[in-house]
Amino acid sequence: MNSKADRIILILFLLVSAGLFFVPGFVESEYVLRLITMVIFWVGIAGCWNIMSGYTGYIDFGPVVYFGIGSYVNAIAMTKYSLAFFPSLFLSGVLSAVVALIIGIPTLRLKGAYFAIATFAFAEAMKQITLEFDRTFKVSFFQGSDGITLPISGYDNAFFFYCILPVTFLVMLTHYFIEHSKFGYGLKAIKEAEIGAEISGVNTTAIKLRAYITSAFFLGLFGAIEAYWITYITPSEVFNVQKTVQMVIMTLLGGMGTFLGPIVGATFLTLLSESLGTRFVEYYLIMIGAIIIVAILIMPSGIIGTLKIRKRLRFI
Amino acid sequence: MDAVLVQAIINGLLLGGVYAAYSAGFSLIFGVMGVVNLAHGELIMLGAFTSYWLFQFFNLDPYFSAPFAMVFLFSFGYLVQRFILNRVMGLPHIMSYILTFGLHLMVANIAIKIWTHDFRSITTSYSGANAAILGLNIPYARLITFVVALFVTWGLWFFLMKTETGRAIRATAQDKEVARLMGVDIRNIYAITFGLGAAITGLSGAVISPFVIISPEMGLEYTIIAFCVVVLGGMGYIPGALVGGLTLGVAQSLAATYLNAGVSVAITFIILFMMLVIRPTGILGKGNIA
Repeated sequence: MNSKADRIILILFLLVSAGLFFVPGFVESEYVLRLITMVIFWVGIAGCWNIMSGYTGYIDFGPVVYFGIGSYVNAIAMTKYSLAFFPSLFLSGVLSAVVALIIGIPTLRLKGAYFAIATFAFAEAMKQITLEFDRTFKVSFFQGSDGITLPISGYDNAFFFYCILPVTFLVMLTHYFIEHSKFGYGLKAIKEAEIGAEISGVNTTAIKLRAYITSAFFLGLFGAIEAYWITYITPSEVFNVQKTVQMVIMTLLGGMGTFLGPIVGATFLTLLSESLGTRFVEYYLIMIGAIIIVAILIMPSGIIGTLKIRKRLRFI
Repeated sequence: MDAVLVQAIINGLLLGGVYAAYSAGFSLIFGVMGVVNLAHGELIMLGAFTSYWLFQFFNLDPYFSAPFAMVFLFSFGYLVQRFILNRVMGLPHIMSYILTFGLHLMVANIAIKIWTHDFRSITTSYSGANAAILGLNIPYARLITFVVALFVTWGLWFFLMKTETGRAIRATAQDKEVARLMGVDIRNIYAITFGLGAAITGLSGAVISPFVIISPEMGLEYTIIAFCVVVLGGMGYIPGALVGGLTLGVAQSLAATYLNAGVSVAITFIILFMMLVIRPTGILGKGNIA
């Protein structure tokens, strides 16, 4: 439905994105710039999870694997094959998508908890393989727990801001496309009633796979950018299950399967962890636990989802 | 057969027994309520700490503190299900996963706050003692735990098959609407089931405490192992926990003996992934598919 509210949200979204483009020119403090970059980064990552799991209801507990693959492809391409950053970035996204295709075909047949655990297992398996590969086969490729040091970029935070902003923009644009296309209706139909969707002629496997691959492609890009930004990666860091957890919680808090959900959830949680995480380090995780429990008990559809239901609003 | 191989298999079986003991509760909770309990490892942690403190203050043997751990965790599990989890039972399953994850964060981090990050262990008179039979080493503590594991799995199975409450639990798992029509108080059965699952998990935490490292952060690792064991054995099928536990234990022990410990973890996850893709009903084919 192309309602008036949707168009207003799209215009606002485009305006904010355009406005953000000028932020590095105005913000003098490196800290603030970095914080804004982190918010945009997490909006994008949570958005990737939302594209697949938010819309279809298939809970992916291993999205971090594509982030990690992106990081490693970029690191290896740049250090071992001395590729320049941008071709290497593109390669990271493409290879993540290829792995998603290979893994998606068998796993997307699984349902519910089985899909969740399988994706989790795959992510952990990849982490262990990158950790142990070199030692087991006596080679020097992934460099195991020693990690890989990427070439120092010499770029400032503004450069990475301009790398991350377009990717997040594309992720959110994909959301808008999902909300207003047959593809999106297909995804939502899978969430509501998969068998019904199949009977109505929706090729459920194909569109689940499309969503899964799209999400993996963008995650690969984010992984590659972050690797180049922090210049040093280890398997335990890039494949860290905490990243998955963040994506899930941010999206859930904002509202799964909504356009604004990842934006609201990621912004809220990133700023919260920045303000509370530094001041109350010891209590931070207890509070996050409590917030999750309370949020699910009082508004299981997330902030945006609950607004939509309570106010009977129809917007993305 | 050479002694190294036999020793590796024996170690694997003993390890597998431990795995089985703490995975049966996970399987029960999933089978009845469809909840993937991400706070499962915390139940083990609480069980282990119960036995740790009883040992510290009253010098009570860890195996005798098991009943206390059971009672404590039954109450904990019952209350959690009654007042928190029951509220999301009608919602999509993701809600229960995330809720138990929130619980994991809270319990683990409150435990860190109270008991600090320290690694602790219980040193009993028989810690580290082995029975040497035909040149093979069998640690006493692990052997006792293995026997307890068999007993626990059997006991749970017996309870589910032979008692009235057990029947109500099985009926609820099969069809909760019909069970309700037959006069079963579903919400209470859910709470009892979670309490029961938590109780046997806490018991396992107590009986593994003589030979594991006890710390507030130990939980997550155990939750992950429980995943693997339960998938191998068939989710929701209680005796499957034993089959899954022993299989995983032997596989890990062989990989650790002939390759290295890191590879054995990789193999765990590869087995888990392949199993789900190829045979999601578990080795025996008796698990339930959502």
